[in-house]
Amino acid sequence: MVLEIVGLRLIDPIAMEVQVLFFGVLAEISGTGFKHYNGVKSMGDLMHRIQDDYPEIVHYNYRVSVNSEITDDDRLLKSGDEVALMPPFAGG
Amino acid sequence: MILNYRTIMELNYLTDGPVSQESISRLIEKMNSMTDCGGHMIFLGQVRADAIDGKRVKAIEYSAYIELVGAEAEKIKKSIFAEYDDVKSVDIIHSTGIVAAGQISLLVLVSAGHRQQAFQACSKTVELIKKNLPVWKKEFYEDESYTWK
Repeated sequence: MVLEIVGLRLIDPIAMEVQVLFFGVLAEISGTGFKHYNGVKSMGDLMHRIQDDYPEIVHYNYRVSVNSEITDDDRLLKSGDEVALMPPFAGG
Repeated sequence: MILNYRTIMELNYLTDGPVSQESISRLIEKMNSMTDCGGHMIFLGQVRADAIDGKRVKAIEYSAYIELVGAEAEKIKKSIFAEYDDVKSVDIIHSTGIVAAGQISLLVLVSAGHRQQAFQACSKTVELIKKNLPVWKKEFYEDESYTWK
């Protein structure tokens, strides 16, 4: 839902949708490898939601990227952002 | 070049299944036109049939964050070119999906004016791939059990 108030477009936070991708062993924990979260405003927010859904995730090491950029910050999220949870890389 | 699914994947540094002999031949063929190079170093990474707790590795299933692999591979190449001024080109192909023990899962080809930098830069490229490429592996054993690596 998008609210139009005298020319201002305010994005309804409930409609804010973030896609989360889970990789490696985390893909298995999440079941499908991806999940949509609505109404999350920040990375901190999102991580709490993810840990509520998958409590065992706290036992794993992983790095986070937002829109394919690796980050450690508790940054604000916007609708359409893609967040990835990545265990240590194991290529080669 | 005909752009099929496999070649598109390879442009993104990934190939579905083992690195094929055709991919290797194609890169060797490319060397013929690189007349400013005096040395080419090829590294082929192979799936090893390790025995872990009495069980032998049958295959590895690789998965990747495809959108990030391209950007990270570009960064690796950029850092190699910055560190080794004699290196003319770096090619990287990594497998996704199932690769059986004995098959090739990684190809790195470094071409340089002279051999020393070809040796050094190839080794460095492989190390950077292991450290920075967003790829994960699931090792399957002969009894169908598996371990995430």
